[in-house]
Amino acid sequence: MNSLYALAPLSIIVLASIIILLLEVFLKKENKNYLGYISVFFLTACFIFCFMSWGKDYSYFNGSLLLDNFALFFFMILTIGTLLIILMSLNYISLMDANHGEFFALLLLALSGMFIMISSTDFLVIFLGLEVLSISSYALAGLKKKDEQSSEASVKYFLLGSFASAFLVFGLAFLFGAFKTTDILGIIDGFNKPTELGLLAIFGLGMVIISFAFKIAFVPFHMWTPDVYQGSPTPVTAFFSVGPKAVGFVVLIRILYPYWHSLFDSNVLFTILWIVSALTMIFGNLIALRQTNVKRILAYSSIAHAGYILVGILAMDNASCVFYLTVYLFMNIGAFTAITAMTKKGKEYVELEDYAGAGFNHPWIGAAFAVFLFSLAGFPPLGGFLAKFYVFAAAVKEGLISLVVIGILASLVSVYYYLRIVVFMYMHRSAGKLDIQQENPALLIVLFLCLYGVLQLGIFPGNILVFIRDAVGSLPF
Amino acid sequence: MIPTSYFIVLSALLFVLGIVAFFVKKDLITQFLSIEVMLNAGNLAFIAFAKAHGLIEGQIIVFFIITVAAAEAAVGLAIILLIYKQKKTIKSEDVNLMKG
Repeated sequence: MNSLYALAPLSIIVLASIIILLLEVFLKKENKNYLGYISVFFLTACFIFCFMSWGKDYSYFNGSLLLDNFALFFFMILTIGTLLIILMSLNYISLMDANHGEFFALLLLALSGMFIMISSTDFLVIFLGLEVLSISSYALAGLKKKDEQSSEASVKYFLLGSFASAFLVFGLAFLFGAFKTTDILGIIDGFNKPTELGLLAIFGLGMVIISFAFKIAFVPFHMWTPDVYQGSPTPVTAFFSVGPKAVGFVVLIRILYPYWHSLFDSNVLFTILWIVSALTMIFGNLIALRQTNVKRILAYSSIAHAGYILVGILAMDNASCVFYLTVYLFMNIGAFTAITAMTKKGKEYVELEDYAGAGFNHPWIGAAFAVFLFSLAGFPPLGGFLAKFYVFAAAVKEGLISLVVIGILASLVSVYYYLRIVVFMYMHRSAGKLDIQQENPALLIVLFLCLYGVLQLGIFPGNILVFIRDAVGSLPF
Repeated sequence: MIPTSYFIVLSALLFVLGIVAFFVKKDLITQFLSIEVMLNAGNLAFIAFAKAHGLIEGQIIVFFIITVAAAEAAVGLAIILLIYKQKKTIKSEDVNLMKG
């Protein structure tokens, strides 16, 4: 239905970020937390709007902005994710001497970029959304201006991110040359006429997929991930590990889904993605084994999780991919919330030794962190187990037995490094230097919400699964 | 009239040149410039295809890409300046606090 309502979620978020930038100038330093409450208010409004327009299929600009259920579902979970990240960082920002206004406004702008990418059906607009997201992300990574690691993360993310964008532009030019359009549906139509498939089209599609592989961090395009995740402020790392990854998968699902029956039969694309998926699972988990920095461990774990989700894409089961992304959002934000909690003025505790005895000194945070790590490792009855189970079950149904065996072996390896953190928290004697100043209510609320999400999705996933089926069913093919 | 394929080959050459320069050069600004070369290779391909197909869209897209490149440059140069303030150097091998 053509309606101006389609613009509402985007305008709410952009409006919020502008208001925050304006208020930033006028508010006194001790009142800066109000900016966080304002953004929470706008995010809630956006969530309610998305919930109300479920199933209404609003569209605008001749259908190049389309709020189908698939887009709305990701709008909602990303809005929740951003809300959790803002709540967890309320205290963190002042502890790190960063600037409240910049942080919230950039985060909301990045969210608006993701909205554009998710809801667009034209590749040019997807590229513009990607740049809105990326440029805000480069600035977010370097938000701790006095910290050299943070600036280093920022410059690395900037260089490799724009490198990937250049691939997208070049691939897009070739697709435009082959099919005379940048509309996704037009490109798909072009691919479904096998007689017209020239070198241009294949080359262009390859370039586009490479650039999204950079954004999602598949092996061998993952080299920026650990450094960027380690150096960025922790809530920002949580955002990077969830947001751009989910959006990258949304675009991959939108562009790859229709090719499955024409291009996947030719086996070239399929074989390449198969190898990438296997490499991503193996390398992500193996390199994580020898890390001692908790943020770096979670960075490699996020690479590995991208590999598991790619198994779902290869199995042509969109619902299981979407479910995996939903669970991943809650458990990963939860884990990063626990790391955010381990902070005092001007210092973050991120080495494994710092966590010795943390489980006894800070029982709530320690216990929640342990649950999230168990979920990431894939223990039942938590969400992480069901997510892996659905993805691998779909793959077995499609006959990808060897890939599933690789995946299960890789996730067995991953248990070691997840449990290593738990062992440090509960079985090593405390060195007595962990004096954190972060037991504020907002952070505990986030921990509780993520815990609820992980348990709900692990034990009673029924309601969400109904939503996800509805969302995936609205894909136009 | 110059055939379209010449432009495409030129833009592909520029793109490869950009990739090579990105990996060979050891200076953050030069690396950033090589990314700009890659983006402009894409622009050239867009214009060539727009001319070949007689479609105005290709030329409009180029304006969007130029705008994006400008925004990227604004943020990117600020970040490189921040690195320079902290380390007094913009050699990429000196930006190496994190490894593994």
